[in-house]
Amino acid sequence: MLAELGWGWIFPPAEPLPWGNKAQVNAFCFFLLFFPFRATSCGSTPEGDSQAQSKKALKKQQKEAEKAAKKAEKQAKQVSTMGSWHEGDFAKDQYGVPPMFQSQEKLDRVLVRVQDLTAEKAGQLLWVRARIHTSRAKGKQCFLVLRQQQFNVQALVAVGDHASKQMVKFAANITKESIVDVEGMVSKVEQKIESCTQQDVELHVKRIFVVSQAEPRLPLQLEDAVRPEGEGDEEGRATVNQDTRLDNRVIDLRTTTSQAIFRLQSGVCQLFRDTLSNKGFVEIQTPKIISAASEGGANVFTVSYFKTSAYLAQSPQLYKQMCICADFDKVFCVGPVFRAEDSNTHRHLTEFVGLDIEMAFNYHYHEVVESITDTMVQIFKGLRDRFQTEIQTVNKQYPSEPFKFLEPTLRLEYWEAVAMLKQAGVEMGDEEDLSTPNEKLLGRLVKEKYDTDFYVLDKYPLAVRPFYTMPDPINPKYSNSYDMFMRGEEILSGAQRIHDAQLLTERALHHNIDLEKIKAYIDSFRFGAPPHAGGGIGLERVTMLYLGLHNVRQTSMFPRDPKRLTP
Amino acid sequence: MPMYHIRSKSRVDTEVDLPTCMYKLPNIHGQQNRCEDQGHQKWEVDPEVKALQARQDEIMQKLYELEAVVSGLAKTVSTPDADLDALSISQSPYNSALSDPLDLDGLLGQAGDCGTIRDIVINANPAQPPLSLLVLHSMLCRRYSVLSSIHVHSSISAVPPSLLGCFGPLYTNGCRRQRFQLIFTLIWKDVPRVELKFNVPSMCAVEGEGNVARFLYRLLLAPSKDPVLATVMDNWVDTAVFQLAEGGAREQKAVVQALNMALTKDPWLAGPTLSLADILCACWLMQTGTASVVPSNVQKWLKSCENSGHFCHALSLMIN
Repeated sequence: MLAELGWGWIFPPAEPLPWGNKAQVNAFCFFLLFFPFRATSCGSTPEGDSQAQSKKALKKQQKEAEKAAKKAEKQAKQVSTMGSWHEGDFAKDQYGVPPMFQSQEKLDRVLVRVQDLTAEKAGQLLWVRARIHTSRAKGKQCFLVLRQQQFNVQALVAVGDHASKQMVKFAANITKESIVDVEGMVSKVEQKIESCTQQDVELHVKRIFVVSQAEPRLPLQLEDAVRPEGEGDEEGRATVNQDTRLDNRVIDLRTTTSQAIFRLQSGVCQLFRDTLSNKGFVEIQTPKIISAASEGGANVFTVSYFKTSAYLAQSPQLYKQMCICADFDKVFCVGPVFRAEDSNTHRHLTEFVGLDIEMAFNYHYHEVVESITDTMVQIFKGLRDRFQTEIQTVNKQYPSEPFKFLEPTLRLEYWEAVAMLKQAGVEMGDEEDLSTPNEKLLGRLVKEKYDTDFYVLDKYPLAVRPFYTMPDPINPKYSNSYDMFMRGEEILSGAQRIHDAQLLTERALHHNIDLEKIKAYIDSFRFGAPPHAGGGIGLERVTMLYLGLHNVRQTSMFPRDPKRLTP
Repeated sequence: MPMYHIRSKSRVDTEVDLPTCMYKLPNIHGQQNRCEDQGHQKWEVDPEVKALQARQDEIMQKLYELEAVVSGLAKTVSTPDADLDALSISQSPYNSALSDPLDLDGLLGQAGDCGTIRDIVINANPAQPPLSLLVLHSMLCRRYSVLSSIHVHSSISAVPPSLLGCFGPLYTNGCRRQRFQLIFTLIWKDVPRVELKFNVPSMCAVEGEGNVARFLYRLLLAPSKDPVLATVMDNWVDTAVFQLAEGGAREQKAVVQALNMALTKDPWLAGPTLSLADILCACWLMQTGTASVVPSNVQKWLKSCENSGHFCHALSLMIN
């Protein structure tokens, strides 16, 4: 616009202008062209460029000087206040950051668990070690929520006899997730504190020390990690997606939901061990580095083993059976299982914990099936009776239907399942394997009719089972094999194993398996082997299906899948 | 006049068709008829689409047929049969509930292809065990080969062992489920009323002990052609289920009186032999606890019920 002004005025207008005569206007034009109009300059003088510029520089210098003066003033003030920080602080021994705990001294102090802070302890002065979950300062008070695993309690630091203003400020400024030692008086509250697990009491803080400070910027906020998905979308608040959680697993595992899930998983494992030990089973440990791939061959991890290579075990099948042939009768084993399947689904991991059972039976493999289903029912009952708090905690974030089952377990046969599916409109052959959507549909049909989430499907067709499955004695198209389902998803695949070396060889040849590779396996049955059967479950999958979760990575502490190797 | 004339090597009279289009792409909005006519078509009619259309036509056809049938039925239902005269109904011979086995296929309505799943699921509350169903189960076992099983649902934490063994000892001997004509599954569950589920896709659950008993009885005996008898039977069933089971002491007394009156004329309540009416009334009478202080007719009748041999499981449950 200035240029236009300049150019416009070079050619003086034809008509007389309202101000001045032509000569004056011409002079003005000339000036405008060579001395561009400055909006900032106050009182533009027709002096040279340099003078105008130096004026500007002068102004700038002036401003900088002002700034420097202000800063100096501030610093002086700060120094003075620093001095006065501790001046009026009568409580300076009651708070602070002690030196790093290098086991300098052994204090005989009793730290009370947050879950034990109930109305019974009202009036007591005690020490608690917990994390700062949230803190909120309000004038002369600071409200803290102290969290320990699944439980949290409200704590209050208020200016008064025991606490100074500086102490309240210090408490408000402690970063979230820092571990603190707090000494406080337990006091009852009139109104229940809805947002905490300990709703009847709060802690009035007398002393607070920071044991381990957390960095101020957390990679994820714990409140976001616990928020249910739908709620997050509705209120516009953030929820944390799975990849972020898994990348920062240490923090994600601190949430109440994760604590509950893994405590329940620990319960599953423990109930499994206890139930089987009570039935007379022996726990064994099988090797995980093996020389030949047992089941399929394609899905094994190879490791370099000195001068040759070996494989990581896909399942302890081989060794369980060898133990039975070695007269252990009833064995179980809990250990990792490695499957190199490139499946990126919600229910596959490359490494998971397998709980496997193998048992010799007297006359009919149903003895084993009943034993396994009874174990599962005992696990479900134990979880239902002893882990209700954990189940409720998980349901807050991931609501689901409670798990239903029948005792004794419902056992349907494969032909019945095919008939039910056909009735529901699915077209499939009598000897076809069940696809995943068909399994889910069957689960729903069974749930509708029998109202159970757990059932056994018996007598699968022989063609879809591995070579060591014993064929049915009456109808050779079927086999003595079974699958167990939870919420419509398969958790266990088992069968009566062929214990006769000759039949085993025949079946292996029928499946085009190289006999050299399984020579050791067949040899174990040559010297008297009892009839036996068994099966195995995946700990993570069972926990996921029991709680009604949707991704197995939620129940695996540090999951491994084709795309994830850390943490 | 040209100097040199050379014969032309190429023909000049042929017309050269200069192309106007640089790059030609097939028409994605192409009409299918045109495509079929031309030699080089890139888009064929998707056979799947054709199949889908055929299926849709089939379904529409079936719908129209169903509509016709339903409208026909509606006409027959809405117009009452004013011509029916009760006296003209022939007295057909009464079939006993224990005579020849009926065609289960026809009764339970199984289609041929699907294989046969004849699994009857009954959910009952262990706090109020339905004794009549135990009696009917025993009758069914005499008639057909039945595979029975009892389960406890997870909604109940514990069930007394007498309820777990209320069918008596069960021997399956490792037989396949396919071998049995009927599968009877009893589930002890926390339900307000007795429920029966049979063919879930095509049948809703049957609720209430009376209705479940009627369903099971239908497997044993075809419904009586005599409407009077059928009504009498229904009446006694309802009396048992509503008045004996849920009524107060006075109502129960009234029922006992009515029973006494009815039993003076005939040894059984409905028909010449033991029937559904007798089963339900006897079971509920025993459960009210007034079975000992009843008039002589009723006592005789109760004794005959017990002697029929089907009441042993129900009675053993009563004792425990």
